[in-house]
Amino acid sequence: MRLRRHFHSEESTGIDLAPMLDFVLNLLIFFIITAVFTKEMALQMERSGAVAGQKESGSIMISINAEGEVTIDNRIVDVRAVRANVERLHALKPKYGVMVVANQDAQNGVLIQVADQVRQGGVENISFGTSE
Amino acid sequence: MQGKRHTGESEETGIDLAPMLDFVLNLLIFFIITTSFVKEPGIEVNRADAETAVHREKGNILIAIRPNGEVWMDRQEVDIREVRSMIERLHVERPDDSVIIVADKASKSGLLAKVMDAVRSGGIQEVAIGAAGSSE
Repeated sequence: MRLRRHFHSEESTGIDLAPMLDFVLNLLIFFIITAVFTKEMALQMERSGAVAGQKESGSIMISINAEGEVTIDNRIVDVRAVRANVERLHALKPKYGVMVVANQDAQNGVLIQVADQVRQGGVENISFGTSE
Repeated sequence: MQGKRHTGESEETGIDLAPMLDFVLNLLIFFIITTSFVKEPGIEVNRADAETAVHREKGNILIAIRPNGEVWMDRQEVDIREVRSMIERLHVERPDDSVIIVADKASKSGLLAKVMDAVRSGGIQEVAIGAAGSSE
């Protein structure tokens, strides 16, 4: 009988896990709700201080004017033709990176399309500069 | 005596919470570790499509540029001159952060270049330009 009472009192002084469980479940719900699993899609681009007309040695120059026209080698090309041009120039000079010089009033949509085309053409090393 | 035995029996057959607690704690630790505190810009912009855009594992400071020239980061509109000091502050808090600039299709390249320069002078060298992936 004495042993039994002792055992019983030990049982009642044990830590009650239920409040801790409530708390932990609340924390869990908070972290599940705030968890963001979206991964951003992005293009890597370096920044270059060069300005238009100043030909940087060792790179293929692509310029974009304020109207969104793309120029490679002094020829105006369509945005969708950038890939073919870059492929050709990349085959000639495999070590060259691409330098995109955009007019500061050019729209970023064109810039991103050009960068995308350049990457499709096989050149990963893109640097970006602006002109007045 | 019978009543006492009854309560003792129900005590014994009650659900043992300890394994459940272990499991829940594991889940909790998982979510704490995988939570990346992305600094959302607070607005949606019209992203340009790019087929070669890649998922950025890191990249948790987003800066949005709207067509009218407003720059948004951390759920507020900021002046272009404030970007540098904000980046410096965030860089001190979490040094391994990187930046994604989400520029609207119709925003101007000059502003993108200014924001990029401000971020780099603020101490974060890893800058990427946000785009919408066309395949996924």
